[in-house]
Amino acid sequence: MPDRPIRLAVDIGGTFVDAMELDARTQRVRFRKAPTTPAAPADGVLAAVAALGTDLSEVELFIHGTTLGLNAVLERRGATTGIITNAGFRDIFLIGRGNVPPEHMYDFQYERPASLVLRRHTAGVRGRLDYKGRVVEELDPDSVREAARLLVDEHGVRSIAVCFLHSFLDPSHERAAAELIRAAHPQVSVSLSTDIVREYREYERTSTTVLDAYIRPTFERYVDALAAGLAGGGFAGQFLIMRSGGGSMTADAARTSPTHTVLSGPAGGIVGAGYLAEVLGRDNLLTFDIGGTSLDTCVIEQGTAAAAYEAQLEHFPLLIPAYDIRTIGAGGGSIAWLDRGLLKVGPHSAGADPGPVCYGRGGTRPTVTDASVVLGYLDPERFLAGQMGLHAEAAAKALDEQVAQPLGLGVVAAAAGVYDVLLARTVGAVRQITVERGHDPRQFSLLAYGGAGPLLAALLAREMGIQEVVVPFAPAGFSAWGMLSADIVDDFSRTVLAELSAAAVGDLADRFREVEAEAAASLAAQGVPEQRAVLERQLELRYLGQEHSMVVTVGQDLAAEPIRRSFEELHRARYGHAMDNQLQVLNLRVRAIGRTDRPELVRHPAGDGDPARALLTHREAYDFGARAVVRFAVYDRAKLAPGDRFTGPALVDEGTATTVVPGGVAVDVDGYGQLLIRERR
Amino acid sequence: MVELDGATAEVVRSHLAAAAEEMRATLVRTACNPVIYEVQDFGISIYDADLRLVAESTGLTRFLGANDYSIRRGVDYVGRETLRPGDVVLLNYPYWNAAHSYDATLFAPVFLADRDLVGFLCVRAHWMDLGAKDPGYVLDSTDLHQEGLIFPGTRVFAAGEPVREVHELIRFNSRMPEAVLGDLHAQVAALRTGERRLLALYAQFGRSTVQAAVEVAIAAAEQSAAEAVDRLPQGSWSAVDWLDDDGVTGDPVRMQATVTIADGEFTVDFAGSSPAVPGPVNLPLGSTIATCRVAFKAVTTPFEPTNAGHFAPLRVRVEPGTLFHAVYPAATFTQWTGTVALELIYQALAQGMPDRLAASSGGDVPGFMLVGAHPDTGQRYAVSSNEPVGWGGTARHDGIGPANHLCQTQARTTPVEVLEARTGVRVERLETRTDSGGAGRFRGGAGLRRDLRFLAPGELLTVVKKTKSAPWSLAGGRRPEPTQVILFPDTPQERRVSTARTRVAPGDRCTVQTAGGGGHGDPTARAAAAVRRDVADGYVSRQAARDVYGVLL
Repeated sequence: MPDRPIRLAVDIGGTFVDAMELDARTQRVRFRKAPTTPAAPADGVLAAVAALGTDLSEVELFIHGTTLGLNAVLERRGATTGIITNAGFRDIFLIGRGNVPPEHMYDFQYERPASLVLRRHTAGVRGRLDYKGRVVEELDPDSVREAARLLVDEHGVRSIAVCFLHSFLDPSHERAAAELIRAAHPQVSVSLSTDIVREYREYERTSTTVLDAYIRPTFERYVDALAAGLAGGGFAGQFLIMRSGGGSMTADAARTSPTHTVLSGPAGGIVGAGYLAEVLGRDNLLTFDIGGTSLDTCVIEQGTAAAAYEAQLEHFPLLIPAYDIRTIGAGGGSIAWLDRGLLKVGPHSAGADPGPVCYGRGGTRPTVTDASVVLGYLDPERFLAGQMGLHAEAAAKALDEQVAQPLGLGVVAAAAGVYDVLLARTVGAVRQITVERGHDPRQFSLLAYGGAGPLLAALLAREMGIQEVVVPFAPAGFSAWGMLSADIVDDFSRTVLAELSAAAVGDLADRFREVEAEAAASLAAQGVPEQRAVLERQLELRYLGQEHSMVVTVGQDLAAEPIRRSFEELHRARYGHAMDNQLQVLNLRVRAIGRTDRPELVRHPAGDGDPARALLTHREAYDFGARAVVRFAVYDRAKLAPGDRFTGPALVDEGTATTVVPGGVAVDVDGYGQLLIRERR
Repeated sequence: MVELDGATAEVVRSHLAAAAEEMRATLVRTACNPVIYEVQDFGISIYDADLRLVAESTGLTRFLGANDYSIRRGVDYVGRETLRPGDVVLLNYPYWNAAHSYDATLFAPVFLADRDLVGFLCVRAHWMDLGAKDPGYVLDSTDLHQEGLIFPGTRVFAAGEPVREVHELIRFNSRMPEAVLGDLHAQVAALRTGERRLLALYAQFGRSTVQAAVEVAIAAAEQSAAEAVDRLPQGSWSAVDWLDDDGVTGDPVRMQATVTIADGEFTVDFAGSSPAVPGPVNLPLGSTIATCRVAFKAVTTPFEPTNAGHFAPLRVRVEPGTLFHAVYPAATFTQWTGTVALELIYQALAQGMPDRLAASSGGDVPGFMLVGAHPDTGQRYAVSSNEPVGWGGTARHDGIGPANHLCQTQARTTPVEVLEARTGVRVERLETRTDSGGAGRFRGGAGLRRDLRFLAPGELLTVVKKTKSAPWSLAGGRRPEPTQVILFPDTPQERRVSTARTRVAPGDRCTVQTAGGGGHGDPTARAAAAVRRDVADGYVSRQAARDVYGVLL
């Protein structure tokens, strides 16, 4: 038995900090919440840990999910940031690619949001590489010193992003510039594009570097404060931080590349979903995570979540690996409203404050949660385990006046309409992420979590012909639970831009070996023992001339023909055709993985198979199958046992979440206590 | 017809919008040329059986509704009764296609069952080469038959099977057949995606519900557009502008637009514009209508997903045989006229509503194309870039810029690293120009300067039609300098061009300076703090701060 048997996962959300404790001796988990503390975020984290009462000296692993970097950008609270680039190109970041956001396509009075960098904080220096990485002009140290002096001494810049043209082919100019800047201004933070990503396209690379520079000083202070707070409580284990594109990294690694954390909000749930998919043996799983303001969905194939290698934050591109998540601006707090007689749901949200009308905190506009109350799904007395009464009449009145009457519908039909509209938008997003990957959504199981996921999941499944919905135990805390199973991960890439040919393959093998050495070193530096280190190779390929590429996983033996066949198979599956055109290797990628011990899913003893022991009551609620209000059985989730089976219409209540089981649908409680909802055959 | 509630109508509308978006994703992911995936030079639309637009995806603004015109002409030519499930028809005859001959319109009927046609899908996209007289782009043709191979409405797929003879005809008539056939397949993949979605939608909701939802959406759009027109100032306003030349004769070409808003109608009349000209700047009628639609949409319902109802109040008047209504065999390849015309319509409108509109956004799209053989590989390339300009100032804020012109707000510029790697040409500078935005209480956005150096022999095509007169300003704002293209700067051969094809040798240079946006309001009324900020950021010089804005620093 280890002397430090406890693992802690702490996830910061917009309103609450979720803390999950796992005791390796018993495999039991405990879950607590504390309010988010925006002014001093480390305090909220420590408060949530205190609420659990965990003895920090017993903690082996502390895994943290934070949106601190994201919030610093959204709220424009990062460091005063400057850019040093090639002479003549200081506007690369400010011009971007010249486009405006798609929703402003016809908005000829469009105004851009404030940038992260003022033009006066940009400077060009002499020195230039060409498109093969050859030096056209040597880097001029004096011009670097002068640029740094101007930015730091005259303009008070605290953090500098350095990105040169074609540096992804040879970082030496960037590294030399960094040394010069650090020597002259040791107090200034310096971010190099090639330390973060070795891929082509200067605007995207600069943007990634600027984001890094912008959040790094804030992030470092935060990690240091939190580490000190934890150490003060006796913590001497490993401190990990969740990454946007999978897995985690050590806090030290995160301090030097905070960009990798900015989109990690939904990552915990997806890591957990990948693990669950493996344990349950589901090859195709879709995540369905609905919180207060947004709905996230992601495809998991063979236990691996769909990944993207370019993400976006506001309109800023980020060349970092991230889960390929489709997000819809609609959740429990989304407002239902009328636009010329058409019912719309979202994107405006009542948020946590004032919140839905039924919270009774001053909200006046009806939300999805209010519709759930009107439909009879949420029990006003038992909401959030009875800690918070719901104002059902106020919810019905708001929905009636603002939606039902103008549409000429009854209030229940209007509430059902709110669900229908939300589901229609969801169907589009879910279909896109599955069809884009060449799959039929009907082959998937749907994993529902987040506070509102289990309310809608069975309806979505029916709408799309999905055969099975899985509702894990404590779906509201699933993201924090998922973090407990996160590996240590690091990603490396090189832009190749060579045609795929027998001759090119030898060169690829050399470059893979070079990148793998770097990847292995990163794992070693993060304390991963060699026997737990795994390196995965991938190639991003496309037909010559295409922009979009597809990822093919390759092994140690590289040969052009099998690689081409894998690509063609994928292209045919996704788009229906393959061509004789030349193939181009865009990027090579190496993912370094340090495997962690995952928490065991605890099997519970089977009960007598009769769910009657868990039956709380019956309640009138709306059934989408019958399109009418009918009598629903209400079960207490805590009292359901493996082997129980019942059919809808039913509601399963567990305090922090309610699962809706429409009529005609059957529920099985599996050995782990999860609800498996399927059409009754 | 079934009665529909607002919730169901919205549900069906969401599905149609998602289908168009899926078609777009398929096209941009599989297309083989950057003009499609970067410049977004495509248009995707979904129609009902009566060829009314029910959904479109984002793309090039100037293609708004171009498909609507083309598909009617295409279906008429082919004969609706001859269409079968799985057919895909290609149309690029400019006078029917609402564009030039390299914009390939592919459309497909959607059948619920044999003989039961319920809708159409349409995907147009720019192809790299269909055998016109010059590689890359045509700047000086004098009739249609110098502009490449023409398809008047020709099946490229019949009953789901490729028509091999037509594919081979394309292959043997193109200088870049792999890219062109790749794009054809990409468009067909997008059509098939749309077909699957549409069929699923009908299967789920049934014909009567889908059709009722379409009626509701179109009626709502009509009402919305009608209300928007009633809210606009009523009256009639004219504007005149000039293209630098027609590409052949060197004479400026007169354009005139009169916009009249009255009695619920919004009429654009091109009387007073030049007759058709010898060079390739004549606009097919469909293209003129599409341009009018963009201006109309932007001032009425810019944020609503488009359907046929949105254009009910719009009228376009133009005589056949004039600049804005090209007839056979007028040359139409250089479609820049539409870009300048969009600003012309806006300029007329702005006289009636200076506080609602922005001043000119650079006047035009300054484009260039590099054509040659790569110095390392010898491979032929044609890489284009449409350069960002400054947008006009408004009554409330400065114009943005450098940004892509109004007629292609979704386009993305080619990265320097990509342009250099594909062509071997070196970009020596790409920077915002000081004092390029027209001065004003709210100034125009800045234009940019790009310097190119050639390291191997090749050709430089520059395409810009408004370098000789300045973009317009509003409400006492100042006009910015027009775009300038300077060949061989600082050499005895230095000269300014607008549209030209020029042979270049190693060491030759070229500078493109794009126009900023027009200013809005009296510059001396601009807040001094804003002027100081602009000087600190280098958008305005100290001298201009003093002389134009009256702010001493």
